[in-house]
Amino acid sequence: MTVPPVGAGTESSAATDGNFAGRLIGFISSTVAPDGAEIVADTDLLLTGLVDSLGVVMIVEWIEADRNITIDAADVVLEHFQSVDAIVAFLGTK
Amino acid sequence: MDSARRRSGLLSHLLDDERIRNRVLDAAAPAIMDGVRSLTWSQYVEQVAKAAGALVAAGVRPGDRVAIRLAKSIESFVMTHAVLRAGAVMVPVDPSAPDQLAAGVLADSAAAAFVTDASDATIADITDGLALRCIAVVGRDDVAPLNPSTNLLTRRDLSAAQPGELVEVDVSAPAYIIYTSGSTGRPKGIVHSHQSALSYATTAAGLYELTPRDRLANIAALHFDQSTFELYSAPLAGSSVVVVPDPILRFPASLTALLASQQVTVVYSVPSLFRQIADRGALDDRDLTRLRWVLFGGESYPPRQLATLMNLLPETRFSNVYGPAEVNQCMVHHVASAPIGDEAVPIGTAWPAATVTVVDPDDVTTPAEPGTAGVLIVRTPTMMTGYWNRPDLTAASVLERPDGQGGSQRWYVTGDLVVEREDGELEFLGRLDNQVKVRGHRIELEAVDDALGDVDGVRSGVAVVRRVASGDDTVVALVVPTRPEVETGGESHGFANGVIAELRRRLPHAAVPAEVVLVDDLPRTGTGKIDRRAAQRLLDSPRDAVRDRMGNP
Repeated sequence: MTVPPVGAGTESSAATDGNFAGRLIGFISSTVAPDGAEIVADTDLLLTGLVDSLGVVMIVEWIEADRNITIDAADVVLEHFQSVDAIVAFLGTK
Repeated sequence: MDSARRRSGLLSHLLDDERIRNRVLDAAAPAIMDGVRSLTWSQYVEQVAKAAGALVAAGVRPGDRVAIRLAKSIESFVMTHAVLRAGAVMVPVDPSAPDQLAAGVLADSAAAAFVTDASDATIADITDGLALRCIAVVGRDDVAPLNPSTNLLTRRDLSAAQPGELVEVDVSAPAYIIYTSGSTGRPKGIVHSHQSALSYATTAAGLYELTPRDRLANIAALHFDQSTFELYSAPLAGSSVVVVPDPILRFPASLTALLASQQVTVVYSVPSLFRQIADRGALDDRDLTRLRWVLFGGESYPPRQLATLMNLLPETRFSNVYGPAEVNQCMVHHVASAPIGDEAVPIGTAWPAATVTVVDPDDVTTPAEPGTAGVLIVRTPTMMTGYWNRPDLTAASVLERPDGQGGSQRWYVTGDLVVEREDGELEFLGRLDNQVKVRGHRIELEAVDDALGDVDGVRSGVAVVRRVASGDDTVVALVVPTRPEVETGGESHGFANGVIAELRRRLPHAAVPAEVVLVDDLPRTGTGKIDRRAAQRLLDSPRDAVRDRMGNP
């Protein structure tokens, strides 16, 4: 398991924030994906069946709570959630 | 002309070159697409013929069962039609099901061939110990060596083969076998003939007014019989198909973007998917003006949720489609306007191919009293020929009734409880098996499910029974809250009480759950429906329900 240490973080931008990606990976590994799944930043979360439709909702809700933002329903699309890297890139554009 | 008439009764004729040319507007127009790739009608017909040729050359014979385990894709359509063109019987396997279950389907159907896109390890797992004449691996060429008595076909073989002639079989011969999990856990195969499948395809194409200008979204995988609409009704009418890849189904906003960009005109799926479209489909940002008809079925649609989607899509027609896989479809209710209030959406009246009647649950030879609950029975040319190799189950599901002229007619006993409303439409009450008695009152668990579905703060819920030795059973609701933190936080008690209070307003006293158990997910069947039997098993250990994340697509 390659989960970076969880830290409080005083980040301003998701795109430059390693702690955010680490915490997100930790959340997906512990709560969303099946037990024992190896998840890294560029793991394809969709083709490998790690994250189902409920998992997508859980990830969105976690990000919204963590970053205190609201993600528009129109932005919850496959391209933005293909991997943790993709999520970070998407949030960096916001 | 004579040969054209003779060649009209098989599913394989649907994609026969000369016929399809007369039916479609343009053979160079897209016939099937997935948002990235597409095939024209000419390419579709050619690929089907080549794959059929490869299967025949690899030893597939008329009547052979060919198991297909493919992710939903253009290839899943091509290979289905290739199997039929070879005169063989298509046996779809749920690609998300455990290998052991897939192996059980191959063994029970005594499959001669296996068509898949699975990994070498999965193929080995599923086919271990089976004597297969052919394994066809779709989409790749690097396949580990097989047992020498099995012919291997790879992507190259399937696309480079000589086109195979259409193999004629009898119209009453099996065309496909769909497996369902029997109540004992042993899967049972529902056999449909070319005749019954074509009868479905023709009636559905007519009823939903399909034309070559239509584009049908394919959301159901091959093992879910909703897909027969796109597999067979579409080419019958010359309509094209937009295959929705599984990852897109996890993103309602991506799904609606695909429906818009591909100009889909008809969508057939389950209410739980349409609910996600209403909640998270970003419909404000999507142009779905081409979408003329939404067909929903497989489970009941809570009326408030249906109203939400209908109000978001005011130009679209909505119909409730009903029918067990044994008859595919037999009833329909066209929803005239968005439901107001909590009255259930009826399953309607018999569709053009079927005759239905309601009989006494305790004596199926007697009609039910008008206005009382009874068991629905159906007579229809879309009926299965029977359960594969299970004459005992077939006999138990068929009722012979006098036809009034000295003969008898075959009726299928659905086991579904219905009641006729004053307007003549039937309302679905539940499965006879799901009827439980609480303090002497008959309760249909489905009625509790439907009420749960409309409670604020409930993402999904299912009713099960806590059976106690004294015989005084109670209803228990397993509920997934909309906000996951409710379950773990201190509000769980108050939330559960709120759900019960809300249900008291909607349900007869005896049907109100005595207990609400919060879980973070519910087990689902391979077709995406909530799996009540699995939920029942989890009742005694809700902790496992939290961990056991089964099959949610």
